[in-house]
Amino acid sequence: MYRYDEYDATLVRERIGEFRDQIERRLDGRLSEDEFKPLRLMNGVYLQLHAYMLRVAIPYGTLNSAQVRTLARIARHYDRGYGHFTTRTNIQFNWPALTDVPAILEELAAVEMHAIQTSGNCIRNTTADPYSGAAADEIEDGRPWAEIIRQWSSLHPEFTFLPRKFKIAVNGAAEDRAGLRVHDIGLQIVRDALGQTGFEVWVGGGQGRTPRLAVKTRDFLEPRDLLSYLTAVLRVYNQHGRRDNMYKARIKILVEALGAEAFIAEVEEEFEAIRDSELRLPDAEIARIRSFFGTPSIHNPAPLPEAGEPGFRHWLKRNRRAHRVDGLSSIVISLKPIGGTPGDATDEQLDIIADLTARYGLDEIRVTPEQNLLLPHVHNEDLHPLWLALKSAGLATPNAGLATDIVSCPGMDYCSLATARSIPIAQAIAKRLEVAGLSEAAGDVTIKVDGCINACGHHHVANIGVLGLDKRGEEYYQITLGGAFGKDAAIGGIVGKGLAGDDVPDAIARILETYLQLRRGSETFIDTLRRTGADAFKEAIYVAQ
Amino acid sequence: MKAITANRLTDGRVIYRTAQGQWSTRFQDAQPLDDYAAETVLAQAGRESGIAVGPYLIELGEHAPAGQKWRREGIRIDGPTSGTIRLIEPANHDRAA
Amino acid sequence: MLRSDFAPETDRNAMAQLASGGGVVVELPGDADWRAVGEQIRSAVQVDIRFASFKDGRGFTLATQLRTRLHYQGRLRATGDLIPDQARYLKRVGFDAITPDRSDLAADWAKAEQRFSVVYQPASDAIATITELRNREGDDLERLNARYRQSDALEILRDAIETTWRGRIALLSSFGTEAAVSLHLISRIDPATPVFFLDTGRHFAQTEQYLRTLTERLNLTNLRVLKPDAAEAREEDGDGYLWQRDADACCALRKVRPLARALDGFDALVTGRKRFHGGARTELPVVERVADGLRVNPLANWSAEQIQAYFQTHDLPRHPLADMGYSSIGCWTCTAPAYGGGGLRAGRWPGQDKTECGIHAPAQGAAVRPERK
Repeated sequence: MYRYDEYDATLVRERIGEFRDQIERRLDGRLSEDEFKPLRLMNGVYLQLHAYMLRVAIPYGTLNSAQVRTLARIARHYDRGYGHFTTRTNIQFNWPALTDVPAILEELAAVEMHAIQTSGNCIRNTTADPYSGAAADEIEDGRPWAEIIRQWSSLHPEFTFLPRKFKIAVNGAAEDRAGLRVHDIGLQIVRDALGQTGFEVWVGGGQGRTPRLAVKTRDFLEPRDLLSYLTAVLRVYNQHGRRDNMYKARIKILVEALGAEAFIAEVEEEFEAIRDSELRLPDAEIARIRSFFGTPSIHNPAPLPEAGEPGFRHWLKRNRRAHRVDGLSSIVISLKPIGGTPGDATDEQLDIIADLTARYGLDEIRVTPEQNLLLPHVHNEDLHPLWLALKSAGLATPNAGLATDIVSCPGMDYCSLATARSIPIAQAIAKRLEVAGLSEAAGDVTIKVDGCINACGHHHVANIGVLGLDKRGEEYYQITLGGAFGKDAAIGGIVGKGLAGDDVPDAIARILETYLQLRRGSETFIDTLRRTGADAFKEAIYVAQ
Repeated sequence: MKAITANRLTDGRVIYRTAQGQWSTRFQDAQPLDDYAAETVLAQAGRESGIAVGPYLIELGEHAPAGQKWRREGIRIDGPTSGTIRLIEPANHDRAA
Repeated sequence: MLRSDFAPETDRNAMAQLASGGGVVVELPGDADWRAVGEQIRSAVQVDIRFASFKDGRGFTLATQLRTRLHYQGRLRATGDLIPDQARYLKRVGFDAITPDRSDLAADWAKAEQRFSVVYQPASDAIATITELRNREGDDLERLNARYRQSDALEILRDAIETTWRGRIALLSSFGTEAAVSLHLISRIDPATPVFFLDTGRHFAQTEQYLRTLTERLNLTNLRVLKPDAAEAREEDGDGYLWQRDADACCALRKVRPLARALDGFDALVTGRKRFHGGARTELPVVERVADGLRVNPLANWSAEQIQAYFQTHDLPRHPLADMGYSSIGCWTCTAPAYGGGGLRAGRWPGQDKTECGIHAPAQGAAVRPERK
């Protein structure tokens, strides 16, 4: 993985000094809250219901064991013993004191981490396929490009006060596991006729109040022109994005208002003007960054274990993914124990995960957009000891990709923007489905719960989405069906009137029962839904009412 | 009746405006205010930006927050309803609200 | 408040021109379309861009476009609701001056402007980006190493001392068993070249005696003895047994930090390290970047035989301990004779994993290449 050189380290150190100074000026009154708020957000500090929240950047979701150990220590010393992994593959701490944040940032800097631009109206942490370097269907590893974007976007002089937040994702495989079409910019690595790799560019996707899928703005972008093109897009957005209404300020609204064709023309005009500038990436720099990433090679590959306890074999079936290298496996560490808080991990668990990462994971672990962790490179002969260790830490729930692998935003239990709770709903759904055996029976299906329309929990692109809203002081939940995240991304459709929280688990159970009745052969939930349409499912939701 | 709440600047903790013009982390210490007094005291609280961030009015019932935001304000008093997950044994994972 | 220290030249010119009636000042709102203002600013000596709110960043792009697309070269000033934390961004996109609405924060503005020493992005201020620095330096080092590959040690040192790092280079000597070679080489070029010796307070008496012998014999006139900071030594090593408890901490106290302090004002340090020393030194380049600057290792590719031959040719005195089995000499506390196998430096920190004291620690990241490929 990437390691800082003295320049990277210097910038992060100087940024801590800047934030320490900003806190000081806020405390002594030189900065008003109105001025301080955007500044603290740009360093990942929110003020939530109960306390400040610090969101720490995990660039393209990649961590080593030392970094995980530092996260554990921060959870223990500065927080209440746990952290929450997010759908954009960051981690957030729910209880730090503002006055402790500089000390936390120092701890992070010591392991080459930071909280730069994890919130605010600026370019956010760039995400990538969590299976980068491990996936069999990889065209090229997307992480070097995400790292190049991380550096270019950090403290950008022109794009730090944008109309609204700006999210970029890179995907280097045939399947889209980064969610390109729901990002402000999605970069898909493709190969041209001559076998050269470059980017297919998608712009203007996003979720929230006005979910939109991105439009393709370019079939092929030369890799060395990446930063020129990104600059062109951001420049058009910074000038023309709406600033009068924060709900209409994302680039998706601008793309829609101008029309894709006019938007692309504007970007191309700017791009042509700056293409041959200092923004062009030197080959040596691309090679330098690339040299930090790669796929491990192994000697004497061992076969997959055939024997073992039924629990081990079941876990392998559910949580193991094939690796591009013979003898290696990728393993999902589920952060979705039945009835637990999706995406949470305790300090003890993080310490154990750090040990296992060093011992069995070639010192590399990833965070996935599903709020799970992933050991991308595990030797087959290590799978059984790994399972035993995970099991004793409550980290071997065999439900990766199943209905109980529920994504959830923090909702009203933590978030000051939420209109309803989401975690308790996710917990209740998981328990209901597990008890009925529906999770295992229904196979691959995505369920995502949000506590407000901002959709941090990605309910719009869930096969089954749950959106919590408020009606005169009472929580109620809208169900959406048919959303999807990857290549065939789709925004789910609202099925009808909202449900009381208590009725949601049963409704979801009936949706899955309906699928089991209607499915043909090996159809997944989304296949069946797309074939039959949503009517039968809607009927099932409201049957009892 | 109404009360005034905010978050404390230094650590973000939930605080309430007391009858003595101080801030307390205990909901029981909140001063009940009628509508007129509420606006006056809120304006005063708004000038104390070195202590309290974003003071606002909440509606008060008998011994608990009332009105449309009763649940949100209740969670601010009692903490998350989702349970925290300080547990290791899978058997203990059952902690839903 | 008028901040005119950003670009005093432009400032004076603009003021002079304005005073003589030759030119106009144009004010543009931050949301002006750069394409529509070309005509307007043609005769301007000063353009003011007014920020309605510090959160509205359109003025940053407008300034960039005036500078890069319209090639406006006059004075550019930012006015309006701006906060000190934007100082550097404003300067980077091409503003010469800032007149914020709030005028009582001059010290914060000045501080914010100096906050960062490195940048990732090219911008109108045209300062070198991190990408440029990385590749420029990489190229420079590569070129130097390529050139030095054709040169012998004396030629390398002559170039380094007299040309490439003239006045900004010193020699670090342990006054150990091989030290006479590099000391003799620099005495042939310039005996006034600064020579650093780390006086850890733990050296063998024989080393101190050898230091006097060599300094005199080679007529070295600029020996600088670097001692640990007395206060630090009291605090960290009150009983004098730190070397037993934590050898790394002892080296940090007695070698790493004294050297770091001495290096202020120097860009490069000559060392006598050689590849045949083994361990981390087997791939030692002639010029390398380490954490605190550059190292020049003119003897990197010398063999043990060449060293011996040089001693004989120039009839150099030997370290008194050399004949007693010590092949590499540091502090008496952490040095043993290296008998038999294990390499030349086997007697250093015997029984520990430690092989280097830390004064040549690699640049962060530079030593860590793809772990697994």
